[in-house]
Amino acid sequence: MSKPTADWERVGDRFYRKTQLYTSVFDPELELENYVVTGAPYSGAVALYRDEGKIYAYRGSQAAKPTIDIHSCAGKLIRQISWDNGRIKALGWSDDERLLVVTDDGTVRSYADLQSDFTPFNLGHGAEEHGVQACKFWSTGFVALLGNNSIVAVTRYDEPRPQILASAPGGEVMSWTVIPPEHTSSRSVEVLLAIAKTVYVVDAAECEDRGLEAGPFRHISVSPNGKFIALYTEDSKVWVITSDFQDRLSEYESKVKTPPKDLQWCGNNAVVLAWEDELHLIGPNGAASKFYYDSFMHLLPDVDGIRVLTGDVCDFLQKVPDPTEEVFRLGSTSPASVLLDALQQLEKKSPKADDDIQLIKANLDEAVDVCVRAAGQEYSIHWQKQLLKAASFGKSVLDLYNSDDFVDMTEALRVLNAVRFYQIGLPLSYDQYIRLTPERLMQRLINRQEYLLALKVSEYLHLPVDRIYVHWARQKVRSSSTDEDSICQEIVRKLDGKRGISFEEIARAAFDEGRGTLATELLEHEPRAGKQVPLLLSVGEESIALDKAIESGDTDLVFYVLLHLKKKIPLSSFFRTINSRPVATAIVESSAIDQDRELLKDLYYQDDRRVDGSNLLLSEALSAPDITAATDKLKMAAKLLRDSKEFAPQVAALEDAQRLLRFQEAFERDLTERFVGLSVNETMSKSIKMGNMKRAQKVQTEFKVPDKTYWWVRLRALVSRRDWRELEEMSKGRKSPIGWEPFFNEILGAGNTKIASLYIPKCTTLTVGERIEMSLKCGMVAKAGEEALKAKDRGALEELRKQASGNAQLDIDRMIAQLQKGR
Amino acid sequence: MAARQASQAINTQDITDKSRRDLLQLLEAVRGKKNLVIERSLASIIGLFVKFSTLQEYGVDKLFFLENHNVDSSQRNIVFLVQGENAKIVRTVAEQIRLVRSESKIDHDFTVIWVPRRTLVSNLILEEHGVLGEANIAELALQFVPLEPDVLSLELEDCFSDLILRKDPTPIFASARALMLLQKQYGLFPRILGKGDNAKKLADLLQRMRNEEDVNASSDPTNTYLTSFGLTPSATIENLIIIDREVDFPTVLATQLTYEGLLDEVFGVSHNQTEVDSSILGGAPAPQPQPQSGSSPAPTTATKRKVQLDSSDKLYPEIRDANFATIGPLLNRTAKRLQSDQQNIHKTDQSLSDLKSFVSKLPSHQAEQASLKTHTSLAEEITKFTKSDPFRRTLEIEQTLLLGSDGSTTHESLDELLARATPLPTVLRLLCLESCLGNGLRAREWEHFKRVLLQAYGYQHLTTLANLEKMGLFVPREANRGYLNPIAGSAGQTATEWTSVRARLQLWVEEVEEADPKDVAYVFSGYAPLSVRLVQAVLQKGYLQNLVNPPRAGAAAAAPAANGNGSGWKGFEDVLARIKGATVDVVQKGNDADASQARKTLRGNKEGPKMSLVFFLGGVTFAEIAALRFVGKQLEVADGGGRKLVIATTGVISGGRAVGVAIEKEEFGS
Repeated sequence: MSKPTADWERVGDRFYRKTQLYTSVFDPELELENYVVTGAPYSGAVALYRDEGKIYAYRGSQAAKPTIDIHSCAGKLIRQISWDNGRIKALGWSDDERLLVVTDDGTVRSYADLQSDFTPFNLGHGAEEHGVQACKFWSTGFVALLGNNSIVAVTRYDEPRPQILASAPGGEVMSWTVIPPEHTSSRSVEVLLAIAKTVYVVDAAECEDRGLEAGPFRHISVSPNGKFIALYTEDSKVWVITSDFQDRLSEYESKVKTPPKDLQWCGNNAVVLAWEDELHLIGPNGAASKFYYDSFMHLLPDVDGIRVLTGDVCDFLQKVPDPTEEVFRLGSTSPASVLLDALQQLEKKSPKADDDIQLIKANLDEAVDVCVRAAGQEYSIHWQKQLLKAASFGKSVLDLYNSDDFVDMTEALRVLNAVRFYQIGLPLSYDQYIRLTPERLMQRLINRQEYLLALKVSEYLHLPVDRIYVHWARQKVRSSSTDEDSICQEIVRKLDGKRGISFEEIARAAFDEGRGTLATELLEHEPRAGKQVPLLLSVGEESIALDKAIESGDTDLVFYVLLHLKKKIPLSSFFRTINSRPVATAIVESSAIDQDRELLKDLYYQDDRRVDGSNLLLSEALSAPDITAATDKLKMAAKLLRDSKEFAPQVAALEDAQRLLRFQEAFERDLTERFVGLSVNETMSKSIKMGNMKRAQKVQTEFKVPDKTYWWVRLRALVSRRDWRELEEMSKGRKSPIGWEPFFNEILGAGNTKIASLYIPKCTTLTVGERIEMSLKCGMVAKAGEEALKAKDRGALEELRKQASGNAQLDIDRMIAQLQKGR
Repeated sequence: MAARQASQAINTQDITDKSRRDLLQLLEAVRGKKNLVIERSLASIIGLFVKFSTLQEYGVDKLFFLENHNVDSSQRNIVFLVQGENAKIVRTVAEQIRLVRSESKIDHDFTVIWVPRRTLVSNLILEEHGVLGEANIAELALQFVPLEPDVLSLELEDCFSDLILRKDPTPIFASARALMLLQKQYGLFPRILGKGDNAKKLADLLQRMRNEEDVNASSDPTNTYLTSFGLTPSATIENLIIIDREVDFPTVLATQLTYEGLLDEVFGVSHNQTEVDSSILGGAPAPQPQPQSGSSPAPTTATKRKVQLDSSDKLYPEIRDANFATIGPLLNRTAKRLQSDQQNIHKTDQSLSDLKSFVSKLPSHQAEQASLKTHTSLAEEITKFTKSDPFRRTLEIEQTLLLGSDGSTTHESLDELLARATPLPTVLRLLCLESCLGNGLRAREWEHFKRVLLQAYGYQHLTTLANLEKMGLFVPREANRGYLNPIAGSAGQTATEWTSVRARLQLWVEEVEEADPKDVAYVFSGYAPLSVRLVQAVLQKGYLQNLVNPPRAGAAAAAPAANGNGSGWKGFEDVLARIKGATVDVVQKGNDADASQARKTLRGNKEGPKMSLVFFLGGVTFAEIAALRFVGKQLEVADGGGRKLVIATTGVISGGRAVGVAIEKEEFGS
């Protein structure tokens, strides 16, 4: 077994290693230098297309057909997209392996999950006119540079909304790059443009000149964590600066005359400068190391390193991870390194093993940890095993050790080794795997149609498997040529009893393939009623869609279906459809009430809901501009109900309303005061307040207002008018239908004790005590005394005497005396 | 305090924090300064968890109300924060975007944040107006908002009218979604109990959503795999009790007699705030800064002042739930205590450390004094109201009705109230109360009151009456309904047999000591709310049974133990059958027995405080909240630190607001 340090290279005080991932990657015939190559993040797929700017040998008609080829990192062809849709200006990937193809007219085609058809959108903002120059991609979006130096950003692909950024100055853009939104302080994307001697930073709001002098910069590149920027200056130097343009961290001079082809980051702490077959790895403080290749190479940067792709090999260049360095560095005396040695001694059955263990006894747990972590960083299965064995050995000596990390690592390594296998071609590093997450790794396997492996890995890691089945079924629906019934049966049989299967997605795939009946059939197996709705609408099953929407309880869906239905079918059948579904009717009603009253009228008419119809007319009468119009509406409202006897009171009320309006109109004419809008009682009250008793009486008789009500209205109106004379007059009356107490209360409430007191003796139904109380409220102690005297209540008189003063006291005394005398 | 401890089971603070974080994140995503256009009702809800000054920190320059149609173009970024469920609102948004776009010279960036979710209909409407592509669309999943640590509310303004008047089930769906979210967080409610047809619908929907959740979770690419393993029964929440408002209208219609209830009746309380004439508060210093009116283009009129009513106030939590009759003494006691504190400082022989401790208490002392002043003024104003003749009449009629007397004895008084032009809502409440308790009025009386009412308040109220009839609040008595026809079947019970229910659940308690209440009936000075009794039927079986059938002196000891057993509705099935609407009783078990077991083990064996969630579908009154807090306190004491109670609701309602949805607002010639 080769030593793990064999491919290490020292750069300054650190080590970098070049791991050969795959060999014989591409067809040796392929002239890679003529291709544009771009790789998806996290060791994803690689897309190639022929660079049209380069001359190539004529190879007959077959090769002349342009294609975009998608390969795995091991060179396996995954998909070929034939291309005749204009000049490709950029090709890029998103985090979830979505391929984006941008042509010079600003059309973007987005190919999701390596398999399905594309969805197009347009950049707009003058892209067609000025042409797209180039694009830069990040994990969830991209930025396009147009011919007029304006910049268009797309920040999401599910609902792309191209957005123009602040305008940049003119002039040739020497090089440019983006800082992804997750790494900027503003949380929106920033674009760095190298124009003339300086660099401009552009975001949505503004464009700022960073005022550099060393330009023009041929290359500019941002580190994966967004903290550093590498620049290639006019005088062939590489600068590394912080992304806020405050500090220059290091400088390196390549001393090569030809300008480099590419400048990329390798992880967050080294920069790679590449020519056709030579690359310089520049570490911190300008230390560098050189690598040479036999043929033309492409750089595919990733989060923790960089992949180098030539026609023959695929290498991974990265900083040697810390645990690995700790274990393997020559002369290392770290506990982990000793532990590994102990294992080797143990395998040789040497007692030195125990010596080693004793030596590091104090740090054994740390040593185990480091070995476990170092195992994760190894590509060679041999060394993975060795390190894990060492960890296991160390673990066995420890009394207490939490083995979770160990177990997790063995699981992760099994998965990693499986997907690194050349036929799968996903050479994930451990860090990439953690960042990608197992779930998204499953998605990538599914994208490659590696269903079996995906299933096995999912089961091994206890991940849900439903997506795998669904994807399989969708693929089946698309590609199978057998008849629809047997496809459906096969799918249902295979997916039977699996949890969380979304048949809606499968059905949609079938629908998109033009297999409508299959789609409907599959849809019946979808457990979520709501999800069935949009597809049912697409296949034209509106009434089933409506039922499903109601079943789901989601009123938004119901409303949505209803709006569709209303557009599609005649009104009468629309009403028929909703008629039998109360929820639908309720939703139509409540939405129509403030949007479409005519619809509501039709609905009520159709359903023979006369009271509702009449009320609708009534409310129209309320908003009518004048009385004639209002009366007309009221007439119509009454007419609707007249046929049936059960609505007689309602009709009477509507007629009364018209009558009242006529009265009020007449009053307004005569009295030039506003009456319309008042109720019957209020009309009476207002006439009385204006001193127009006759009119009030007329209203009373006309509308058969009960006497009691009339008296109350009159009383309150008179009091509010402070018509004491009239009230005094009334106190001489003999009978009141509401009794006299209200008179007392209301007048007292208005503050006229004198008039109020007139009513006290009339309240004959009340007890003496209450009447005494009433007098007292008027402040008339003597009068209260009289009441008490009348009732011959000595106790009350004594009580009153205490409250009384002055003359009143004398009066009371007199009364007490009178009472005594009388006895 | 009960509220504090219950909050441990459902951490309401988390909900607040999350809402705030989500909103600010969305605002931050819009780069630079922005104008915020917000729905008026949403503004005060947002105000519950984020201050205007915080919004300003996140770049909000000006605040507009959507209703005012006055959005200007002073900022490039315009953010709409509106409800996506309401088609009318969506249309307004679309129109305003169009308007701004056509009138303004600069190229605007529109963002629409839908609350609580983006709807298909909103997409459709924006598309129809040709603005779908113009706006960035985002969602703010604002569901339950904690009004207090023990009260969660969806603050759905139109809930009552949607459910009861329009029969539109939107609020049921919204409730189900919100409850589902709680289940996702705390585990399945092991048992769902409920009463009422809508409660049944809600329970069914919860079941359905639970089944769909499996599929949803797995087809959502952003979901992490742990949640997709299906839900397991909660270890902290014991049950969910759904009370459908339709089951218990009388409680809403009756006048609330707690302090908070009366504040609501007199001034109206919304989103923990009330607005009163500043003349009432007199010179009391402004206790709360007003976050909303700061630079909002529609400042509140100068004569109105907002008063914050929540537990941030020191005094308010102590008095809010007390019967109003005892408010005087309570305030008095506080005043005395503050005074004695004050006097302490004037003592000459104070050590420095005493002084220090006093000074450190000074700010809270001052705050308390301010609050005392505010509440004294408010209480005084309420007293004016409660002393008035119409109020006394109203209460008299109400109590007669609630006591179970025949409504016709009150008709004379009602006629008088009508003739005296008492405010319409008051009269309607009484009429509706009578109708609800008697399952309708006799046809002749019904027609009589309709006629008199129309004459007194105007013929436009034909629609008001039609609405009330539709809501089932004011109806003619029908021969085939209620107790007149006992064969009417139990499952499809359409009317409540009030007489027997009143007796069996002891809805009227003769002796209520307002100052030291023994029973929830104190909140209405005699009437025990049916809704609360239903909750007690689940949680306080023994207590309720003792109350209804007082044990004889000798047998007293044995009775509670025997009666206290059983769960769910057990022991009260018979009464429930006499109340209208369906009865819900669902036991939820986890899909995966192992997982439930694991969860139980993880949570530890110790039986932590169990919690019951009471959900009011259609709104809850402050009086009921007070009563439930009272129950909650008793539960906590019982069985050695027994259970906690958290109240959730679609919104807070009062009798005035309930009949208000029916009232025709327009009049002739307006």
